[in-house]
Amino acid sequence: MRCYGMIIDIDKCTGCYNCFLACRDEHYGNDFPPIALAQPFQGHFWMQMNERERGIYPKVKVSFIPKPCMHCDDPPCAQASLSGAVYKRPDGIVIIDPEKSRGQKEILSSCPHRVIFWNEEKNIPQKCTLCAHLLDQGWGEPRCVEVCPTGALLFGDLNDPKSQISRIWNSKQVEVLHPEFELKPRVKYMGLPKRFIAGTVIFKDKDECAKEVKVTLTGRGKKQTLRTNNFGDFEFEGLEEGKEFTVKIEHSGYTPQSIKVQTKQDVYLGEILLKRSSKR
Amino acid sequence: MNKDQEGEKIVRTTVWSPGAGCHGGCGVKLHVKNGRLVKVEGDENHPWNQGRLCPRVLALTQYVYHPDRLLYPMKRAGERGEGKWTRISWDEAFDTIEKKLKEIRDQFGAESVLFCQGTGRDIGGPISFLAYAYGSPNWVQLGLAGQSCYTPRLAAMFATQGDYAVLDAGQFYEKRYDAPEWTPPKCIIVWANNPVPTCPDAFHGHWVVECMKRGAKVITVDTRTTWMASRSEIHLQIRPGTDGALALAMAHVIINEKLYDKEFVENWTFGFDELKERVQEYTPERVSAITWAPKEKIINAARLYAKSKPASIHWGLPVDQCPEGTTVAQAIAHLWCLTGNLDIPGGEVIARPAFGVTTYPFSSHELTALYGEEFVKKLTGKRIGAKVYPMVANFRGWAQPDMAVDQILTGDPYPIKAAWIQTTNILGGQAADTRKHYEALKKLDFNVVVDTFHNPTSMAVADIVLPAATFPEKESFRSWWAPLSVVVPAIKVGECKSDWEINLELARRFNPGAIRYKSVKELINDRLKPAGVTFDELAAEGSWMMPPEGHSSKPYRRYEKGLLRADGKPGFNTPTGKVEFWSKKYEEWDLDPLPYYDEPPESEVRTPELLKEYPLVMATGRRSSVYFHSEHRMIPWMREIDPDPIVEINTKTAADLGIGDGEWVYVENRRGRIKRKAKVTPTIHPKVVMVPHGWWYPETDGREPNLFGIWDINCNQLIPTGTQSRSGFGGGAYKTTLCRVRKLEKER
Repeated sequence: MRCYGMIIDIDKCTGCYNCFLACRDEHYGNDFPPIALAQPFQGHFWMQMNERERGIYPKVKVSFIPKPCMHCDDPPCAQASLSGAVYKRPDGIVIIDPEKSRGQKEILSSCPHRVIFWNEEKNIPQKCTLCAHLLDQGWGEPRCVEVCPTGALLFGDLNDPKSQISRIWNSKQVEVLHPEFELKPRVKYMGLPKRFIAGTVIFKDKDECAKEVKVTLTGRGKKQTLRTNNFGDFEFEGLEEGKEFTVKIEHSGYTPQSIKVQTKQDVYLGEILLKRSSKR
Repeated sequence: MNKDQEGEKIVRTTVWSPGAGCHGGCGVKLHVKNGRLVKVEGDENHPWNQGRLCPRVLALTQYVYHPDRLLYPMKRAGERGEGKWTRISWDEAFDTIEKKLKEIRDQFGAESVLFCQGTGRDIGGPISFLAYAYGSPNWVQLGLAGQSCYTPRLAAMFATQGDYAVLDAGQFYEKRYDAPEWTPPKCIIVWANNPVPTCPDAFHGHWVVECMKRGAKVITVDTRTTWMASRSEIHLQIRPGTDGALALAMAHVIINEKLYDKEFVENWTFGFDELKERVQEYTPERVSAITWAPKEKIINAARLYAKSKPASIHWGLPVDQCPEGTTVAQAIAHLWCLTGNLDIPGGEVIARPAFGVTTYPFSSHELTALYGEEFVKKLTGKRIGAKVYPMVANFRGWAQPDMAVDQILTGDPYPIKAAWIQTTNILGGQAADTRKHYEALKKLDFNVVVDTFHNPTSMAVADIVLPAATFPEKESFRSWWAPLSVVVPAIKVGECKSDWEINLELARRFNPGAIRYKSVKELINDRLKPAGVTFDELAAEGSWMMPPEGHSSKPYRRYEKGLLRADGKPGFNTPTGKVEFWSKKYEEWDLDPLPYYDEPPESEVRTPELLKEYPLVMATGRRSSVYFHSEHRMIPWMREIDPDPIVEINTKTAADLGIGDGEWVYVENRRGRIKRKAKVTPTIHPKVVMVPHGWWYPETDGREPNLFGIWDINCNQLIPTGTQSRSGFGGGAYKTTLCRVRKLEKER
């Protein structure tokens, strides 16, 4: 038995919208009973594209986060549905039965990822099926994966130990969108944007970029150290959101500085002036 | 062509507008069922895109079968702008056009008709063919101030290197990234371009991403933090229009720190000492103040680029739109010559039309080869701008657009009576000073618009409208740059005809003696002769073919092999046979032979008083993944993704002005004002706003005075004409005018 999974590599996603378009192209105007009925002409985003811009000028990062149904192992939509209208197939795909789900609008709000859409005309909830109708015909991947021009979407059989996806599925760099929902999704991510703390260190006496200056970040029971680059820049990336950290900047002959930082948002500390230490 | 089990026909063809809109090149598989296009897929066997596509082509059926598409010829029934049209036959359309334009030719001379096109689509070939058959030298991108789109860069490369060059991503090899001849660039400067959503100048944006996957480090020069910029080693977030200063400062570092390729400079270049002297004034300190980029970043960018070999530069249209665009392009091109990256694997590869086949004439040489030296010379004498600008006279066939619109209005030195407008929405698209172009076109006696949809231009000024075929409906060919490919017809829609078909028919009527082709296919087969192949043969081969080793359109190091010059000697196709840092051609054309920097016409340096009133730089023209210039706003699935005409404004700037995300604002300057929806974002420089161009509302009234809403939202109303470079090409101020932004509700 196959067991499908998808990994979305954010580092490779350029936000081209091909995945969304291919999904629309496949599902608009085409019924695939019993898996899904046709998507309406507009308004549904079974594969959503979310643009994420972080930081402030001049330290800004841009990411795109494609988001289909997560095909959870504990799907809240299934729990919210009546008479088994939402069910999980043995291969892991979560399906909303287009017949049984008729009128069950409450299924929409059960999903914390907000990936279920209401079809007004047909009176049914709808979402990504991972193109199960194609997989059942022998396709190796859904349309969105097929059209991804950068290979940002990786799809495959988790039960096949030789598949690329099964080899990395449980590795450290693979993560879950909103792990706090605890839904055991079959769609995972790599390179999801977290928080960064960055700054630019300047030697005040020389008015120049402070290269090779030691910067230490402490917080969440961990300590990281790095050195500023040629532009005096430093950056700690992949930090937890909404936590407190301390940035310490030290260089021989200069007065050390210590700055407390909250990662409610991404933080660019701007130019940090290091003063010569008085030797008296 | 092959069939699958359900009787669905699959046609392999090449994308080149209309439909996709863009500069084309992708190989696609068209799925056709009962004569109808049902699906488009990327052709995984095509070396250009290797199966990749974009949203516009994925939604192509919405374009091809759009209810608003023009399906048959029409003539104007009421006044211009009333939106009243009468369906006519092709015979009537051709007869009317032939009669009117022959009358004008007899009375005022062929030069009194302008042949206007838009960007680099499958049009340069057919429209120059028609203009020359008619006898007019005035082939022009009317409205494009300074002809500021690729032509300035082409001119600079032609003058200093004798050839054109592009980032080498293995695109001249069938096996692409696996070709043993190729190696990826170690460093890429993405200069003023966002390649992935753009695919500019016959370049597929994903090629840069593929090089990044193979280890290329990226330096981005962009006033916005794009996806690419935020993944770069160095991002130089410069003041729009100052690219020339940046290039000269980088040359300063490369020369003074002796990071240049001594062997290449010694053996293959001319004028190094003069260049060295010139760049001394462009110190990183001074240029940092000009460009807003930190000095250290300029120095480090120059070092990273020069120390990586091979390294490559991928540049974009803002280079052309800098003041003195042709000299800015020259300065940037010098960087790859200083570092010996010209025509080496993973560097800047010399790009020639595949097999020497001409589709879209890129230089006067190509025009001359097609139409004969004497004829081209005779026409050039009357070409608008050729007397004023030696570069306009001697490089490529374009008339000078800023002078062309003025000449319509003044009739000086000779009257302009008609415009043939094909694949260009002048008023909704490229024209700077929209109102001036509106008034000018209204003044003409006769206007024909050939397009796929009605648009502000057709509604305002057309007397006859002809329906153009999209790429799945047409026969065409392409050699920009490689492979050589053909566009294979798969479907028929309405009575639409291809641009080649329309223009061949009229060319025959205008010049029956000279035009001997009976069909488009015959014309194509004649043009394909240098490749020793026919249209049908190429179509049967999946629509494309790469030039072979040893051909002058195949890389690398052709300057060593004697493949570039007509005399067969090693070296470059320039007067000195070398890459000319000191350009003999520029000298001959009364231009400074060395690159220099000039301020934008409006700027914090040149017009500080104006800055007090209009404190923001208005850059326009950033690309959307789902639109191509002024096209696709009527395609439902595209519009759903990018619904509104926005202005990107920095988070802090917006906060200072009390503007919230999604609020409607005025963007204004002395020339006018437009309405835009604020997109508040940290990605744009705080002193710059980005105003996407090409906006009109196809869903609103197309008749006067609304004209699909252009007077409300078209940003080009704020941009002047007449800012062209000293060479005549470049300098359109599309990225550098000053403006201010304020909330709409403050207006009484």
